[in-house]
Amino acid sequence: MAVYWVIFGCFLVEGLFYAVFFKISRLSALLQRVIWFKGAPRGMQLLFTLYALTIALGSGFLGALLGLGGGVIMVPLMVFLLGVPIHIASGASIVAVVATSSAAASVYVRDEVTNMRLGMFLELATTLGALTGASFMAMAAESLLKTVFGLSLIYASTVMWYQLRNNRRSWVNKPNDWLAERLSLDGSYYDEARGEQISYGVTRTLNTFGVSYVAGVVSGLLGIGGGGIKVPAMNVVSSVPMKVAVATSNFMIGVTAAASAMVYIRHGFCDGFLTAPVVLGTLVGSYIGARVTGRLRGMFLKRVFVAVLLLLGLRMIASGVGL
Amino acid sequence: MDRVRFLELLVSRLLRTGVMVSGLLMVMGLGLLWATGDASCPSGVLSVGWVLFGDPFLEPSHVLFLGFFILIGTPLLRIVASATAHLVERDLVFALLNVSVLLILVVSFVLGVG
Repeated sequence: MAVYWVIFGCFLVEGLFYAVFFKISRLSALLQRVIWFKGAPRGMQLLFTLYALTIALGSGFLGALLGLGGGVIMVPLMVFLLGVPIHIASGASIVAVVATSSAAASVYVRDEVTNMRLGMFLELATTLGALTGASFMAMAAESLLKTVFGLSLIYASTVMWYQLRNNRRSWVNKPNDWLAERLSLDGSYYDEARGEQISYGVTRTLNTFGVSYVAGVVSGLLGIGGGGIKVPAMNVVSSVPMKVAVATSNFMIGVTAAASAMVYIRHGFCDGFLTAPVVLGTLVGSYIGARVTGRLRGMFLKRVFVAVLLLLGLRMIASGVGL
Repeated sequence: MDRVRFLELLVSRLLRTGVMVSGLLMVMGLGLLWATGDASCPSGVLSVGWVLFGDPFLEPSHVLFLGFFILIGTPLLRIVASATAHLVERDLVFALLNVSVLLILVVSFVLGVG
């Protein structure tokens, strides 16, 4: 029952959010015109910096908590609230995703929640996929792609929701399959919320590898992190505990994001005045997020993840069909 | 110390150091930009040379971009470090995995796609 409330609450927040921000965005468009050019009053510049910092703090926190890059949350906020042009917002967010990943991973790896071997193995799939996707970027029909991607996010969230109804834990313990056994991908971590050491195996490794490849292709095509696919891939397909999936996704995201960030910087889509506060806010937010995750239950994380994934999917479809 | 733990601490500290150094540079760069009132943040296509060496070296906006550059380099450095660690431990499969990921990244950067 609780999960309905979470989803409902998210819709409510999202609705309020748009209601308020669409009004503000008109105001901020005005503000924007003043700030974006030289010689703006100091107070306005400071206000802008503070806004950017706050947005980044929140999305860094959520990004670390859920194993998403945080870009999917950050970019629309910057566009609507601060009136930043979308490619500048994407440039800032892709650098911020590297920050989320590195800051969160430094905590998760130290606390031994991240499955580094699994992460390194799947990294091969995501980077290969990203290279494939980026090569075909010019030919892609973006609206169709967004719609399909949105549908797959909704599918993933439905499967996870179904699992939540039937299980009492965020995962089912399964033994390693042959490939995971060969690469010794199984692991264990100390669950702070349960107060016990938890061991797990990795099943259907090749399937997860395949899904990660697709996630890489999508992230190359659309210029997004792809954490929304990696976490369900590990948790649902390979039956890895939710916290480990989140931590490992965070570990991997930095690499793909770093590759895209280089391209963004080289093309000059990286505005220092916007990117610096956004990255600094993200660093702090994701550091806090990574410390909080340990104390939360995997089930709770999974519920929040389901709700956020559903929203992201709907938003992706909406932008795909041109709403 | 056991070998797995060694790699974990190595990676964790590497990431944290990279994040801290770049964060510090960004704070400094932003502060300098504010103090000097110099709003000439670079725009347009940037050369790798500018990001590395600046023109002039360590002007406010260059400090800022040096911060971005170190941040972006951190995950790549992490792969280099773990490749080396796996190689030392003779875990050839994972050393190869890390190296090929690095190669793919280099290829995608050289091709300039993405």
